[in-house]
Amino acid sequence: MVTKFSRRQFTGGILAGTTALAMPSLAFGARPRVAVIGGGAGGATAAKYIAKDSKGAIDVTLIEASKRYYTCFYSNLYLGGFRSYASIGHNYYGLSVNRGVNVVHEWANSVDTAAKVVNLGHGGQVKYDRLVLSPGISLKYDSLPGYSPEMHSRMPHAWTSGTQVQLLRSKVLNMKKGGTFVMVPPPNPYRCPPGPYERVSMIAHLLKERNPTAKIIILDPKPKFSKQGLFMAGWEKHYPGMIDWIDPDTHGGIKSINATSMEIETDLDTFKADAASVVPAQHAGSIAMAAGVTDGDWCPINPANMTAKADPNIYVLGDASVASSMPKSGFSANSQAKVAANHIRGELTGSRVYEARYANTCWSLVATDDGIKVGANYSAGPEKIDVVSKFVSQGDESADVRKATYQESIGWYEGITTDMFS
Amino acid sequence: MRNLWTVFFFATILCLSHARADNLLDGADLGYGEYLSGECVTCHSKDGVDKGIPVINGLDAEVFASIMHAYKTGDMDHPVMMMVASRLDAEQIASLAVYFAAMPGTN
Ligand SMILES: Cc1cc2nc3c(=O)[nH]c(=O)nc-3n(C[C@H](O)[C@H](O)[C@H](O)COP(=O)(O)OP(=O)(O)OC[C@H]3O[C@@H](n4cnc5c(N)ncnc54)[C@H](O)[C@@H]3O)c2cc1C
Repeated sequence: MVTKFSRRQFTGGILAGTTALAMPSLAFGARPRVAVIGGGAGGATAAKYIAKDSKGAIDVTLIEASKRYYTCFYSNLYLGGFRSYASIGHNYYGLSVNRGVNVVHEWANSVDTAAKVVNLGHGGQVKYDRLVLSPGISLKYDSLPGYSPEMHSRMPHAWTSGTQVQLLRSKVLNMKKGGTFVMVPPPNPYRCPPGPYERVSMIAHLLKERNPTAKIIILDPKPKFSKQGLFMAGWEKHYPGMIDWIDPDTHGGIKSINATSMEIETDLDTFKADAASVVPAQHAGSIAMAAGVTDGDWCPINPANMTAKADPNIYVLGDASVASSMPKSGFSANSQAKVAANHIRGELTGSRVYEARYANTCWSLVATDDGIKVGANYSAGPEKIDVVSKFVSQGDESADVRKATYQESIGWYEGITTDMFS
Repeated sequence: MRNLWTVFFFATILCLSHARADNLLDGADLGYGEYLSGECVTCHSKDGVDKGIPVINGLDAEVFASIMHAYKTGDMDHPVMMMVASRLDAEQIASLAVYFAAMPGTN
């Protein structure tokens, strides 16, 4: 890449016009610009690595609506009483002060991909040479009959960053003695495959302490789920008789949801909830739709570098992307961000571009000191991201191994949040 | 006589381990190590804080490389680390080893 650039610059005298078009910022000696939309697991990591590794050679602007990012990862542990809410909140000072990232707390309204400009909510604009989109998910309100945004306060989804999870915890704590909690997990594909089942585990943990005759019903749209055997064995061991998982063959599908009467109707029965968490189907964050890089609900990407199939100047990370066998997780988003950051630097400054390497591990807590995990590493195939090798916790592990797994997950949380924000 | 043999014995071990150490770090490339380290620091805190996952910043390069080779062969046993090590070749391990050895250690 270096030689390519110098050759271009060398011929610049004759082909000044063409060069200026192809490499405007380089031709005029200005720093190339990268805009990142979304300061979550993918976006914060990408902004940091591009700024850090380019040592000031690239101008990085991070556009993030919120001043504080509450991680969805570990929000279940907050529900269960294992973490404080404050401990899962992070700010962007590290990125701006330590890394020199321009952090703009605004909503990105639209992207003009021809002019390479992001239009901000208050009328401002951010120009880019390369754009990183890591906006996470938006909820599909029409995926469940009767579901609407107004229902968030009655049956919190708590599936995006923010205060929903506090509301959910208070609703569980205020359930009547022996009451019923109903969990409606989303259909595939969705953010954090083990998430709904870890949530159920943590709610069971809370209820076992405070309301032991309460019941939990899971009305699942899926016939099977991530780490199913491990979760179900854990439920049987720690919360016997409390949790009832009902698969779609048995309940026949969700026919309607009524947030006022707190009733969820299926073919099998109408379930009356004292508290509920309803998580609808999802699609790529709305800005990805607006930028025109989606195909259906998600953004297809090139496995070698995370560029959008629809636009080589746009990289799509994390939940919004179609990363084939990689689950939609914070770990995956963080891993993809490093591949993209390396490629962007190569494109804009001629630095070395290495082969794409991806990884993911998802830890879940089933009960006190009972942690389980599943993970894999991946490489870029020609069409999709392929699994290289994988592992999952075993059913017959000792209590010591499970405790070590939980402790490891605390270390991971510290590691990834440091990696994202400092 | 016995002492001489002991000296010879230890000298041989030292030479062997020295040779092995050289091999362990053959082909190390700091820049590549920095790129590869991205996979490690998702879990091993870059600030050198151990809250459940060991700090690897500042670890002696040879020790680092030996440990990774032990995960690769299965002599050391941990599902995540065995998976990570399984796709690293000797040069990649060496690159990571020299990169982390140069990082400031525990805070
Ligand atoms: C209950 C639960 C538990 C989970 N547990 C784990 C776990 O244990 N491990 C794990 O790895 N993952 C876990 N996850 C998944 C993880 O949270 C997501 O996969 C991850 O956050 C995805 O990263 P992202 O960058 O794609 O999106 P996000 O992290 O959601 O970041 C997107 C950001 O973009 C911002 N944004 C969006 N649109 C705009 C716009 N137009 N303008 C400005 N800003 C915008 C949002 O404010 C947000 O901060 C869990 C998720 C849930 C719900």
